[in-house]
Amino acid sequence: MRPLDPRLLRHARAARGYVALTAALGVFTAALVVAQALLLAHTLGNAVTDGATLAVLGPTIAWLAAVVVVRALVTALQERFAHRAATRTVGELREQVVAHAVALGPRWLATGEGPSVVTLATRGLDALEPYFVRYLPQLVLAATVTPGVLLVVLGLDWISAAILVVVLPLVPLFMVLVGRLTQGRSEQGLASMQRLGAQVLDLLAGLPTLRAHGREHGPGARVRSLGDAHRQATMGTLRIAFLSGMVLELLTTLSVALVAVGIGLRLVEGDLDLVTGIAVLVLAPEVFLPLRQVGIQFHAAADGVAAAGRAFEVLETPVPPAGTRTAPDLRTATLRLDGVGVAGTPVDLDLVLRPGTVVALTGPSGVGKTTALEVALGLLRPDTGRASIDGIDLEDVDPASLWAQVTWLPQRPVLEPGTIAQLVGGDEASRATAAGLTGLDAVLVDLPLGWETPLGRGGEGLSLGQRQRVALTRTLLSPTPLVVLDEPTAHLDAAGEQVVLDTVRTLRDAGRTVLLVAHRHSLVAAADDVVRVRSAAEVLA
Amino acid sequence: MTRGTLRRAIRLLDIDPRRLALALLLGTLALGCGVALAAVSAWLIARASQMPPVLQLSVATVAVRAFGIGRGVLRYLERLVSHDVALRGMTELRTTLYQRLAVARPDTLLRLRRGDLLARVGADVDTVGDVVVRGLLPAGVATLLGAGTVLAMCAFWPPAGLALAGCLLLAGVAAPLIAARAARTTEALALQSRADMTATALGLLDDTGPLRVAGRAADELAALREADRRLATATDAGAGAAAVAAGLGQLAIGIAVLVALVTGVPAVGAGLLSPVELAVIVLTPLAAFEATSLLPAAAIQVQRSRAAAARILALLDAPTDPDPTDRGTAGPPLVAAGVAAGWPGAPTVLEGLDLDLRAGRSVAVVGPSGTGKTTTLLTLAGLLPRRGGSLALGGHDVDHLARETVVGAVVVGTEDAHVFGTTVLENLRVARGDVTEAEAEAVLVRVGLGDWLAGLPDGLDTLLGPDARTVSGGERRRLLVARALLSPAELLLVDEPAEHLDPDRADALVTDLLGDPRGVVVVTHRLTPLGAADEVLWLDGGRIRARGTHEQLAASAPGYRELLDRERADDETEAERAR
Repeated sequence: MRPLDPRLLRHARAARGYVALTAALGVFTAALVVAQALLLAHTLGNAVTDGATLAVLGPTIAWLAAVVVVRALVTALQERFAHRAATRTVGELREQVVAHAVALGPRWLATGEGPSVVTLATRGLDALEPYFVRYLPQLVLAATVTPGVLLVVLGLDWISAAILVVVLPLVPLFMVLVGRLTQGRSEQGLASMQRLGAQVLDLLAGLPTLRAHGREHGPGARVRSLGDAHRQATMGTLRIAFLSGMVLELLTTLSVALVAVGIGLRLVEGDLDLVTGIAVLVLAPEVFLPLRQVGIQFHAAADGVAAAGRAFEVLETPVPPAGTRTAPDLRTATLRLDGVGVAGTPVDLDLVLRPGTVVALTGPSGVGKTTALEVALGLLRPDTGRASIDGIDLEDVDPASLWAQVTWLPQRPVLEPGTIAQLVGGDEASRATAAGLTGLDAVLVDLPLGWETPLGRGGEGLSLGQRQRVALTRTLLSPTPLVVLDEPTAHLDAAGEQVVLDTVRTLRDAGRTVLLVAHRHSLVAAADDVVRVRSAAEVLA
Repeated sequence: MTRGTLRRAIRLLDIDPRRLALALLLGTLALGCGVALAAVSAWLIARASQMPPVLQLSVATVAVRAFGIGRGVLRYLERLVSHDVALRGMTELRTTLYQRLAVARPDTLLRLRRGDLLARVGADVDTVGDVVVRGLLPAGVATLLGAGTVLAMCAFWPPAGLALAGCLLLAGVAAPLIAARAARTTEALALQSRADMTATALGLLDDTGPLRVAGRAADELAALREADRRLATATDAGAGAAAVAAGLGQLAIGIAVLVALVTGVPAVGAGLLSPVELAVIVLTPLAAFEATSLLPAAAIQVQRSRAAAARILALLDAPTDPDPTDRGTAGPPLVAAGVAAGWPGAPTVLEGLDLDLRAGRSVAVVGPSGTGKTTTLLTLAGLLPRRGGSLALGGHDVDHLARETVVGAVVVGTEDAHVFGTTVLENLRVARGDVTEAEAEAVLVRVGLGDWLAGLPDGLDTLLGPDARTVSGGERRRLLVARALLSPAELLLVDEPAEHLDPDRADALVTDLLGDPRGVVVVTHRLTPLGAADEVLWLDGGRIRARGTHEQLAASAPGYRELLDRERADDETEAERAR
């Protein structure tokens, strides 16, 4: 794991200021740690050896108190901005990941790494919080306090400094060594832990099924034995994983103990004065403290770094450049697909969409009808073949200029929050006419607020069939020359099917072009042209 | 959430008090070694500066090294023991939860399967278990160690001991309380914006294409930014208190040291304290706060565990089936009279269902989607409470019979039944533990999965499920039908067996099921093969619109003929296109 990925600073503005602040506070903290130790040693040393009184020590103690207060303030300041930076950075990365994923398009989101982006964006990136709040400050302290304090110890007593310098590199060395030795074991252990955990959840998920077959009582013992196996596997892993922690503690505490003993023996010999001895004794643990904290926070931070790494992978996936030519006017231009194929579904698809015609795509589910629509809309580039408007490759067309001429009604209507009137658009009279045609008027009768009924995100508050009618009405009132309907009858009953038929006819009468995916015979019959979509398997058969 | 929530959940972990005591002892000794190391080092140095004979220091030098080693070793042992305790507790809680859910009303279970609730249950059990290692144990260790250190300090110089006690309370009680409060504030404030953020991000990622074409992607991204901005504001609201808590922890150490100095120096002058003792009481506090520094995180953990415990207890307290009052045995026929069905807490989906199901009789149920056919099947199988009417098995009221008796006679195979993450054969053995390989192969061939089975890498021993081979929608559905067919029950209720199949194969499967010698109810969307049913129930609008044989309905029920014709026309169109 890279302790601080430079890409984090490049992509997240909030992280930059925070890292700078943390570095500054880290240097300041190092100075405070040293000042506190020296002041304390001075006060205590003089009190012990010379029996100095409060009156003599007063000013030093006052300085010590000031240092204590400032250290508390610095700690508070660090914590205060750590949370803020974490939330802001997560927010910035989330926004960029989502925006980039949207730019990469629906096909990318549905395949390969795509589906995991949802988890990454909603929950995964939150793992950066412990990284920012706990890990990063300690990492900075390991880079400021550890060397700073070590230098001061060197200036005070080179023998103690030598002990610390010998032990210091052993800390990461042993950590890496133990890590190497245990990696295979713990990865194996982790895998079996996850498998056992999943098996218990699987049994819980299957309880309704087990109940339906009257077999729910047997697996209780199995849950227990899986739990025991899980525990044994976990403990096997932990026995080894905790070893690295033990090595770290042993090295650090033992070296502090050696420093103490060494100082004691040299004090007896009179080679050292007490003030120096106390200062070194107080400073010795401070050399290791940040390193120990880094070790403790390592695992929590590793999740955050891994999540950030995945986010950078998404952000570094290149988006194909968008075209720049303005799309021809679809009222007069013809959209064509020639021999289009995308990953076997569909293959070798030819389609000609002349202005003012109704073209239906048919074929069994899974054959790539929706994919064909996405190619025609310029959302997806075909692997083979060509999509074009009046001879201009869709790749070269500015997508915004094409989409401004298109109304697309997907299988599950996508509605933004707002009142039904706002969603549907148009003036009162045209709304009423359109609603009469799509059957939305019957839906409105049951709603106390009628047209002013507010809908939540995704049309919350209406059934799927009712949402479909809202979307159909909106489609009728939209001014675009091309209308694309994906299985418009999917969530509608027999009466709803008639509504769709009427809608399609009305659209054609208005001179608009319609591209639709259809299953129903009646809808297919209403089309001017029918294109059957085939998959690779069918073509071979 | 009541105050007893966490206590009740912890009791469910059934923690062995001896193991917990051992963990507590080891933890206290480990951190105690750290404190002792500081105290003895201070003594050693201060005494050494008085240049006594070296022999007088030998015990201290050995002790310092021993404490240095002891700390690491004891801490290692403590972590092992405490994690073992926590894992045992999680197993116990998980088992209890399973056993409890096994007798819970089915709607509790089915609700659990929606969304990521189930994953949350798994995480919740872990979170409740974590309270031991990350919450209770650090608190216990800090208490014991704090008390011990304060007592030892008091033995030297009571004012310094008392100051240390006060500072430990500041760092170990006040700071954690403030930190936990800050976390709670943030969580409460962030709840809505977090939900908005998730919904907006999901919307953007799920409906990328439509949003871009409609030109709304930019608006939605702005909404996401706004939700994240509000999330940041909520975090800021709690960050101030978190900062105070962190600062207090640091301040407490300093105050303890300063008070020891300020009160100790005059005491040395007055002869109440030796100079060496002064060094000990001033330097020991520097190491005494390690235990309390973990407590703010522990307090937040306790809070998190309490929320998880509340969700788990809600599941454990879910209503269960009443105890059977009729211990008799009963078998077919299953007779329903005027049965009304509905999901608990949702509107009634069907009323006035009469049915007489016995061996050799086949009934088909048809109707538009969303008319509650699955709910009806679950009700007939006695798995959902009825809304009205009577349901009797061999003359005994189903509600009073033992669950084992009912399931011995009536088995339902719902369309959302679970495919377990195990082999094909074990998945079939859910229906009956002694299914042989030959029986399994025969039934898979019967439901049209013969080719599928032949193509599996390990045949019946092929692993299915999330982390192994996945099955397509159609294969899954037929696997579930095969499982239902293997059930020893005399009456089978089967839900949409033919979905995702082409018309010919769908009709063949439905016809075969309707011809089964047992009593069968088949829910289907296909009308063409229903000539094989003894009776067809046509549901619409929450009632039985018509019932009779397929021929009777086709001849006399208005609308049925049209549906049938439309289905045929669609099939023909499809067949034509295929050619």
